Amino acid sequence: MDKILRDKKAICVFIAPALIMFVVILIIPMIQMLYYSLCDYAALTPPKFVGLANYKKLFFKDSTFKIALKNSIFFMIFSAVTQQIIGVLLAVFLTNIPKGRNVFKNIYYLPCVLSSAALGLLWAFLFNPKIGINQLLAKIGIEGPLWLMDSKGFIVLPMWVIAFVALWQYVGQNMMLYMAQITGISRDVYEAAYIDGASKPKAFRYITLPLIKPMMITSISLNCIGSLKFFDLVYNMTQGGPNHRTEVLATELYAEGFNYFKYGYASAISVVLLVLCLVVTLLVKKVIKVETYEG
Amino acid sequence: MKKNQMNKTRKPLSPVMIVIYVLLVLLAVVYLAPLFWMLMVSVKENKEVMSAPFGLPTTIHWINYQEAWTLGKLGIALLNSVLVCTVTLIFSLIFGSMAAFAIARMRWKLSGAIATFFMIGMMVPVHCILIPLFVRFAHLGLTNSRFGLMLPYITFSLPMTIFLLTGFFKSMPGELFESAAIDGCGIYGCFFRIALPLCRTGFFVSGLMTFINNWNELLLAMVFISDPARKTLPVTLTYFVGPYATNYVQMFAAIIIAIAPTIVVYCLFSNQIVEGLTTGAVKG
Repeated sequence: MDKILRDKKAICVFIAPALIMFVVILIIPMIQMLYYSLCDYAALTPPKFVGLANYKKLFFKDSTFKIALKNSIFFMIFSAVTQQIIGVLLAVFLTNIPKGRNVFKNIYYLPCVLSSAALGLLWAFLFNPKIGINQLLAKIGIEGPLWLMDSKGFIVLPMWVIAFVALWQYVGQNMMLYMAQITGISRDVYEAAYIDGASKPKAFRYITLPLIKPMMITSISLNCIGSLKFFDLVYNMTQGGPNHRTEVLATELYAEGFNYFKYGYASAISVVLLVLCLVVTLLVKKVIKVETYEG
Repeated sequence: MKKNQMNKTRKPLSPVMIVIYVLLVLLAVVYLAPLFWMLMVSVKENKEVMSAPFGLPTTIHWINYQEAWTLGKLGIALLNSVLVCTVTLIFSLIFGSMAAFAIARMRWKLSGAIATFFMIGMMVPVHCILIPLFVRFAHLGLTNSRFGLMLPYITFSLPMTIFLLTGFFKSMPGELFESAAIDGCGIYGCFFRIALPLCRTGFFVSGLMTFINNWNELLLAMVFISDPARKTLPVTLTYFVGPYATNYVQMFAAIIIAIAPTIVVYCLFSNQIVEGLTTGAVKG
């Protein structure tokens, strides 16, 4: 048996297709991207090495990039905070209600599996200044704001709108992850705590919260990476407008790369994106310390 | 403990519980109302959408669907989506199960390292390979082809598939493979005759996740495909943002057509989808 399982040739055969795809489609392009980001490279001319010029331009001259970076970071922090809190709360509520758990769970998770391109169009319509929500508000005598066209403030109103739509769409995922973790906690632990006189909020604070910490790492990392690479909703709701005020890193990258064909410059943006993703993942791992408990 | 639970169900709901239920129901409305409203709008007339967007439709215009279907070329888009997603699904399952089997069951030094290597794929955003891949594929004539779209789709589906299937393979009892080996079964026999048939649930769960993810994918499809005859559904929808922007009813009909398959799949298999999500995320 052991001999069969150590068959080197078979291992190679099994691993090869996946590994080759990974290297060819993912690893090599990533290295190329690093190189392109140091080049002056428009679509038609071959890449010309220019060192850090792209990055200098990004960080010191490009005001749109600054907006995109600001929006992406705002979006990430907003999503992480709101989605985590609401996700945990929903998970706790749903695991504690006697009836209807599955119905609610399935309803809240539904938008996660739907195309954000489609949902973006839907919400863009609902936040249309003339029709949609503003008509409802007008009926009760409130003049609604220009939801997706306002361009005042540090974080413009459309960005908040998009962030709330994203919250609506993706909070179900965090809820689901936490529910899985909470149902995994043995009832006995709670029973013991209640016998010792613990109240429900106390049980939540001292049992549930510490025990769902491992999931927190996964959930927050997924959350942050997901919001950093966010594209679909923004593209279909505002297309980066008005006047680039709702640009995020992904839409900026798309515009530079495929509207203006500045491949080198767009590569530099994707390097920034990649670095942000890595930093955030490492930070989350560092900040949340998981003590192991006897399961 | 059992007695305790019995008591709970008989007890009238506590005020806190009632508040929670009210909140949950309100939230459910927030989730379902937009979808329901979209369904309503999709059978209205354009005039009616402007004058009374929130009312129920006075007459039902099924013609919107027909027009959206022909105007937006949804038929061909649907076909493209089905084709791309199915082929991606099949290959990511084949390649993924092979790699997962080697990682989970076979004994070699690098198995842990390779597993971690594949997991990196979950962290890397697609955006990071977009430009180099596009440049290369343009040279090879793979842009504007459905095959060219499948390649990155398969690659980005692999980490999730491998991760899920590794879990399933690891949970199989080792005696199974041992007895098969004693009966003269080789390593390929172990894989095809024992591991694969026993892993049907795993295939189903990871297959669903792969399919849904690729069905909704927008960015790659937008960049790689410019020929309208090869576009997938999400890309076709972005068409309604531009030239048909005032044709709301058709836009909504198109959206409904695009998300209906996912809703059906979700209603049928929500449990498996949830399982895929949660087991996929619990990384040890």
